[in-house]
Formats: sequence, C-alpha cells, structure tokens
Amino acid sequence: MIGPGIKRGTAELAVLSVLGDGPLHGYEMARRIEEQTHGSLRFTLASLYPLLYKLEKRGWLRGAWETSDTGRRRRCYRLTSEGKKKLVPIRREWDELFRALHRLTKERHA
Amino acid sequence: MPDWEAIVGERLADSSLAPEERREVVTELAGHLEEAFEQLRVEGLSEETAMELAFSQVKNWQSLRRKIQKARMEEDVMTDRVKQVWLPGFVTLFLSMMLLMAIQFFGPHPLIVSMSGWRTTAPVAVIYVPWLLSLLPIGAIGAYLAGRAGGSLRATLLSIAFPVLPYSVFSAIWIPVSLILGDHISHNTMPSALLLGPLAWVVLPGVALLAGGLPVQLLRSRRPASV
Repeated sequence: MIGPGIKRGTAELAVLSVLGDGPLHGYEMARRIEEQTHGSLRFTLASLYPLLYKLEKRGWLRGAWETSDTGRRRRCYRLTSEGKKKLVPIRREWDELFRALHRLTKERHA
Repeated sequence: MPDWEAIVGERLADSSLAPEERREVVTELAGHLEEAFEQLRVEGLSEETAMELAFSQVKNWQSLRRKIQKARMEEDVMTDRVKQVWLPGFVTLFLSMMLLMAIQFFGPHPLIVSMSGWRTTAPVAVIYVPWLLSLLPIGAIGAYLAGRAGGSLRATLLSIAFPVLPYSVFSAIWIPVSLILGDHISHNTMPSALLLGPLAWVVLPGVALLAGGLPVQLLRSRRPASV
C-alpha cells in the first residue's frame, strides 16, 4: 500500500490518466483507479470531488450532466485540450521520478 | 433506500456556494454515495452496513464543504494564466519602468546615437546602458515567477520579454504610420531614427531580458523533480 505523502502528488496524475481513456463520472472514475492500481490508490468521495472541481476550474477537465439508460443523472468529466496537453509533462515528470527511485533502490540492493 | 440528496443537502446547507451550484454539487455527491451503496448491496451487505460503509467515505463534512468551496470559488481569484503570465509580466514591466525613471533622473548620461556617429546633436536613438544591464536580473525575476507558477516555456518567454511589448507595439504602429504619412505628422523624424529607435527600445532590451531570464529557465528545466 502506498503511503499518504506519495499519494497526494499522484492524485492529479491518476485522474488525468484515467480520463485519458475517455469520459467518466466520479464514481466510475474512483472505481477504475482502484481497479487499475490493484487497490493501491483509492479515492473516496471526500478526496475525489474537491480535486475534480479544482481541475475543472483550471480548465483541464470539463463536466457535463448526462442521463444514463436507467434515468440517473450523472456528471461526466472529460479532458479538455489543455488537460491533454498538461498530462504529457506530468506523466514525463512522474516517469522520471519513478525511474530515479528505481535506480536508487537497485543500487542500494546491489 | 436512503434519501441521499436530503442527507448530503443537509450537510452542505451552510456552504457559501450559489444555490444553483450547491444543488449541482449535492446531486453529484448524492449520486456517488447512492452508487456506492447499491454496489455494496449487490455484494450482499445489509442495508444498514452498506449505508454505514458508503457514508464512511466522508469523515468530516465540514472539511469537505470547505475544500469544495475552495476548489470552486477561490481559484477564480487568480487563474493559471494570471499567475504564469500576467503577474510575472507586470512585475517585470513595473520594475523596468521604475528603474528607467530612476536612471533617467539620477544615473549617468545616456549614449546618444546621432546621424554622424556618437555625438550629442541630432539624436536618432538614446541608449541607457545601466538600464539595459538592470534588465538582466529583471528578466531572471520574470522567468523565476513564471516557472514557479508552473508556466510553460511560452508563458515564461512572454513574462521575460513583457517589458518590451509596449515598445514593440508602439514601433509596429509608429514606423509604418510615419513612413506612410511622411511630412504630415513626422516632418522632423528621420528614417534612421525610425530604424534605430526599435533597436534601442525593443531589440537591445529584449536581448538583455532574455540573457537574464533564459539561464533561469534552463536551470529550472534541468532541475530534478522534487518530491
């Protein structure tokens, strides 16, 4: 399980990445992130929505109300073109960080 | 089946969001809790346990209310564009103007370029060397402020070069107008002044600003990611 300090910085990346695959509403987004990270990253309602609203304010996401087949109204989020542009350097930075940490831990074990 | 909208609405009642916005937030959060509840019921949990577990996603409603308000309202005060371009840009413009005024009042005599060389008659361009030198740290400040706010390379370059933009716009308008209208409005403006003016007030300051700002931008881009 990843500790809370590391998790904080990964939240934006997780949300932007999962939306990179297509539009999702909040509950589905949280479920996909948990599933794809095998439970290492878990968003609750309290951690997810403030982040979604913040990213929406920044113009990286756009939310729109949609009605499902069952008649339930849900707000679906999709990446804006600015959000797509932001995802590229954020992914690169995290890749660099993980590679650096990997090298560091490998050298320690060698 | 619990009335999730009523439950969430009651807990977010004190929010300072606009009524319509609060209604949207309540509907969205209630929908999330409802889906979580239904999923837990599908997994075989009792209604009471499912409701308890779904509800446990929010430990502190007051804190959530504050976070939502902050996310939806406070970021309006200063958008990314303001932090990354306008604020650093106006800081560099203000500093450069203040220093230019100070140097004009208290500094050494400027270099005056005339038609027949460097002498004090028929000036076509006035160059304040101390001001140009002072633009180096000002460019660095612009790059630092834009970079710190997470600005892209384009935003950083714009912040660095911001003080020369008014001169560039002025030159872009004044030169063609002077050349077209000729003696009607600029009978004492020599063509050489029209060319050397932008050099003294746009090109040289621009180079000085970039010489100060680009190393900062380079250092920031090479700096390893901080955890």
